[in-house]
Amino acid sequence: MKDKLKKQLNITNLLFIVFLLIQLLPEQYSKETYEINIIIFVIGIQVIYLLLSFLNKKEEKMETIQDIIAISYLLIIIWQLLTSKSAILNELLFPAPGIVIEQFIADLPKILEGIQSSIFIIIQGYLLALVTAIPLGLAAGWHIRFGNSFLYVSKFFGSIPPIVYIPYAIALLPAFRDASVFVIFAASFWPILGATMAGVFNIEKKILDSAKTLNVGKLSMLFHVMLPAALPEILMGCSQGLGISFILLTSAEMIGGKTGMGYYIKYYSDFGDFTRIVVGIIVLGVVVSILTYFFNLLQSYLLRWRQ
Amino acid sequence: MSKIELKNVTLNYAERKSVFTALDDVSFSVKAGEFVSIIGASGCGKSSLLSLLEGLNFPTQGVITIDGQEITGTGEDRAVVFQHYSLFPWMTTRGNVIYGIKQVNKKLTNQELTAIADDYLEKVGLSGFENKYPLQLSGGMQQRAAIARALAMSPSILLMDEPFGAVDAKNRKILQELLLELWENSEEKKTVVFVTHDIDEAILLSDRIIMMTSNPGRIKKEIPIDFPRPRTGSHLLESKKYLNFRKELLATFFNDISEKIGGEEVAL
Ligand SMILES: Nc1ncnc2c1ncn2[C@@H]1O[C@H](COP(=O)(O)OP(=O)(O)O)[C@@H](O)[C@H]1O
Ligand SMILES: [Mg+2]
Repeated sequence: MKDKLKKQLNITNLLFIVFLLIQLLPEQYSKETYEINIIIFVIGIQVIYLLLSFLNKKEEKMETIQDIIAISYLLIIIWQLLTSKSAILNELLFPAPGIVIEQFIADLPKILEGIQSSIFIIIQGYLLALVTAIPLGLAAGWHIRFGNSFLYVSKFFGSIPPIVYIPYAIALLPAFRDASVFVIFAASFWPILGATMAGVFNIEKKILDSAKTLNVGKLSMLFHVMLPAALPEILMGCSQGLGISFILLTSAEMIGGKTGMGYYIKYYSDFGDFTRIVVGIIVLGVVVSILTYFFNLLQSYLLRWRQ
Repeated sequence: MSKIELKNVTLNYAERKSVFTALDDVSFSVKAGEFVSIIGASGCGKSSLLSLLEGLNFPTQGVITIDGQEITGTGEDRAVVFQHYSLFPWMTTRGNVIYGIKQVNKKLTNQELTAIADDYLEKVGLSGFENKYPLQLSGGMQQRAAIARALAMSPSILLMDEPFGAVDAKNRKILQELLLELWENSEEKKTVVFVTHDIDEAILLSDRIIMMTSNPGRIKKEIPIDFPRPRTGSHLLESKKYLNFRKELLATFFNDISEKIGGEEVAL
């Protein structure tokens, strides 16, 4: 029991107490700041955290969670201190955390719809790139001569900032959705193709020799040998492609969209509604983090054979 | 008729401006069911020679036949064990063996495949490690799995390129005896061509040793080994005859090496 209590003497809990103490400070912003929202939010996280730390046995995993929560608390504390609790920052440009939550809840249906539309567009363009770039990269790697010159072609296209495709895509494909899918396809295609070819080039020769001595057929050679052998590099390309996709889609939504978080941010920035801009930025950050997290999970599952 | 026959085989590697002769006028034959070791200092062309038998490369001159047929590529009649990378690291040991069997027999059900694979894994002492990935196993265990895969494909010829070269001394001894036992007890004796640079390993395992010299790779001598089988390392070591024989072999071997300037390292 003593040990368990001792374990609770950590930065996370300390910051939680600091946060509570800060709430005693008087508010300095003139408009309503809905501080109760952020208090409920932080207490909610703290309850979940305490439950986890009593139930969870895995020290390592817990440490990561604990660190993430501590950093979140710190950011919220700094945010509150700079805004509602001191008015150091301009009230119109920097909303207090409570009011951001209030706005988020009010806009939730619109936000969910936006995220859904963005994710569907990304999945379509990205999957299209995956199913074309990977087989093409494997085949190009197989025919080394063809592949050699092709590698430069892919490097050339890969080095073009994909944002330049946006005007063309909008001109050629009048529907915003189609244009966005195309832009995401074009942007993630080249890094995935390049990584696949590089992956195939770098396969240990002995592995291919071993497969040949088994009299492996051509298709099995491509998909059971070369694909998994090149997978570590292919996944690096995929992760790069996914990152670019989000940047591009958000830009496209800001330029010509009528849906998505990019559009949400752009639309309200025209009105100077900074509360909603902050909502949009935080939502985008959280969505990308969650997707990255799942991508990494998938990646470590697919590469579980690498010790 | 011999199982494997090489007639005046020469292998050149084209380099940027010159031609490198890795094998020069190599001829020998291997009888069906015979265990032949090829021994020589590293760089003398042992792997090059084996790659011709594997069907991964072709002679510049000369002919190689198996059962009278010229080799046109890799084939189901041959299975190969390399020093490294025989196994696919992304497949479990069982997956590796099953994948090998599938290449020679496409009709088996998953159940049958698993049963055969597990049977061979048991034979090499890997029961309980079926679901492990190669990188989770020691070097010696990886080679056991590679041997299981090779045998499970039921080839008539086994080609092994320094299969125990990267295994520690103690496990190497164990693996040598395991290989001997599997070879001696198989229903239809497999023809084995075994590359090594370890003289004791060659004497213990082989019916015949083919000694090579380097630059260019040539056959120096063929030495029949007529110690009675079944053999074990400890039995051999006790016999006077073995010690004398080994001494003679070493003398021949070193004679060759000292002829070269800066002769290469040989494990003994
Ligand atoms: N693909 C190749 N191209 C050019 N030279 C090669 C190639 N493979 C092997 N060699 C050369 O041929 C010689 C014999 O090599 P190898 O057959 O691997 O010898 P060993 O297996 O006996 O160590 C070495 O000098 C090596 O550098
Ligand atoms: Mg070699």
